[in-house]
Amino acid sequence: MLSSAQTPRLLRSPTTTTTTLKCLHSSPVPASATAPPPPSQILTTRKSLLSRQTSAVDLAKSFLDRLRRTEPHLNSFLHVSPEEVILKQAEELDNKIKNNEAVGPLAGVLVGVKDNICTYDMPSTAGSRLLENYRPPFDATAVRKMRESGAIVVGKTNLDEFGMGSTTEGSGYQVTANPWDLSRVPGGSSGGSAAAVSSRQCMVALGSDTGGSVRQPASFCGVVGLKPTYGRISRYGLVAYASSLDVIGCFGSSVADAGILLHTISGHDKFDATSSKREVPDYQSQFVAMDYLESKPLKGVRVGVIRETLENGVDSEVISSVRDAVSHLEDLGCSVTEVSLPSFSLGLPAYYILASSESSSNLSRYDGVRYGKQVLGDELNSLYGDSRAQGFGSEVKMRILMGTYALSAGYYDAYYKRAQQVRTIIRNSFKEALDKNDILISPAAPSVAYKIGEKKNDPLAMYAGDIMTVNVNLAGLPALVLPCGFVGGGSAGLPVGFQMIGAAFDEEKLLKIGHIFEQTLQGCSFIPPIIADEWTS
Amino acid sequence: MGSRAALPLLVRATPPLFSFRKRPYPKAHVPNKRFYAQKSSLEPPNVPRLAETARISLTPQEVDEFAPKIRQVVDWFAQLQAVDLHSVEPAIRADTDGEDNLRGDVPEIFDNRDAIVAAVPTFEDPYIKVPKVLNKE
Repeated sequence: MLSSAQTPRLLRSPTTTTTTLKCLHSSPVPASATAPPPPSQILTTRKSLLSRQTSAVDLAKSFLDRLRRTEPHLNSFLHVSPEEVILKQAEELDNKIKNNEAVGPLAGVLVGVKDNICTYDMPSTAGSRLLENYRPPFDATAVRKMRESGAIVVGKTNLDEFGMGSTTEGSGYQVTANPWDLSRVPGGSSGGSAAAVSSRQCMVALGSDTGGSVRQPASFCGVVGLKPTYGRISRYGLVAYASSLDVIGCFGSSVADAGILLHTISGHDKFDATSSKREVPDYQSQFVAMDYLESKPLKGVRVGVIRETLENGVDSEVISSVRDAVSHLEDLGCSVTEVSLPSFSLGLPAYYILASSESSSNLSRYDGVRYGKQVLGDELNSLYGDSRAQGFGSEVKMRILMGTYALSAGYYDAYYKRAQQVRTIIRNSFKEALDKNDILISPAAPSVAYKIGEKKNDPLAMYAGDIMTVNVNLAGLPALVLPCGFVGGGSAGLPVGFQMIGAAFDEEKLLKIGHIFEQTLQGCSFIPPIIADEWTS
Repeated sequence: MGSRAALPLLVRATPPLFSFRKRPYPKAHVPNKRFYAQKSSLEPPNVPRLAETARISLTPQEVDEFAPKIRQVVDWFAQLQAVDLHSVEPAIRADTDGEDNLRGDVPEIFDNRDAIVAAVPTFEDPYIKVPKVLNKE
């Protein structure tokens, strides 16, 4: 049904395993030999439904077929909504269209929701055995807004427990596989959402990003990941990990889809006092059709490449891909300079101090009394101690203990307060850099997806992978990750994403630049091998 | 602020966080020896005591397993002790908005109390049942 939306696959298998596979980038001259990818599954869906070319029921069935086929290999979902429930919602939508009634901007769009975001009609476990079968009494605001816009929630996606982790190996239930190479991790903690969008099990998905948990899996799975400004989207219904850092983020197969989803769920919410009252711009107006672009559509845009992110410790192929992306931006008219943020490396320990400390406080509510797993004891403290011990996984326990330590009397000044001071320094250094540049660029992660099991027993090695992303959370800024190339590995290469960081509430600029970059990136098709046959036939 | 000018020098003086050996395929990145060389000047974490404070009943095996890992991470945290943060204000949050968005303190009835009650593990209407609280001597 979506055959009109497909691109011929241009990427062939790598001939050598160590060369970077380069995508071609060209100026936006229309009528080239290969058509650019369609700008948006959401818009294509809307057009097909309203023109009666396809029905919401048929669309849902085709996605569910693909989900059923790929899920035994991927394990992206912790819970899939029963087929009859999904098809009933689709049918209701088809009836509305038939009767010429108005339908919302996400009509017929199939979405995945990370399982730490509350849905009242499905279990919400946050990836933890402690919350096995827990049913929240309400929908998160972001979920409610999506549903009110006509979206159909397909299911709840896998994650590292309570958002703590970068691979989904920390999930209490299952490990999700990377659609590009089933022996590798999809990234985390929103690995399930990234894998689901990458393998087209759903069209878009919600994730959460506390230290990079949307952006790093987006890079590992070759999809678009958007982290909004802190306060742009309500956190009501997002299971809290670190309240000063958590945000809900968007996954899509295109920048336009991420932007449309962002628009739908943004805005002030009286139930989240940290949500901003600032007006939500019409992000969709940023998506200019390719035919209308001038030859240097990004002329005048000042891009700052963060020097410290392209140095020692980052895979050479990743650096190469990111530099190619920067060249492409230059071809589009951007003026590029190198920017130095000397305090960059301090962000990682500061982040882990703040996140562990805040999580030790946030997770104290899981006491086995009002919800979740309860292990009865003969006195109250053993009820607490045993319920928590048997419900939490190892990584969660360790982080709670680290946070408890950092907040202990006598240690607060040495750790937590210092981390808060580092946050000030990092926030100010970004602000200074963004006064002189429209966006800043870095890789999304220091490597591509690594093998399942590789970093499981070495916490510091895993934490080190977050170096590119945590500073953005500390500063509360928005960032967009989009795929820009491949490195060798798997049967079709492993995707690499680059990160664009913007000033607070400047998502519009990120989306505009990202959309133009994506639409002019020829020769790269980010369809993983697991669905390649079906998608290109 | 004077400390900010000093910061780049101090940061450059600290060892690189990690250095990776290059390999053809992405493999485990092993931090080098200098990464682990820092030690905190404070008392090391007492894991059993922390577990009691955090109300998590750890098994002895878990204590043995977690203690070195926690120690390693806490020593890594210690690098912040070397940074000159004199006269830098701590930031509670990113403060992207700078606005006061508190709502009025007006109670509202939540419309799905049944679901809240259904989630309670041991409920005897109208009480949530828990074991007795033992006062420690």
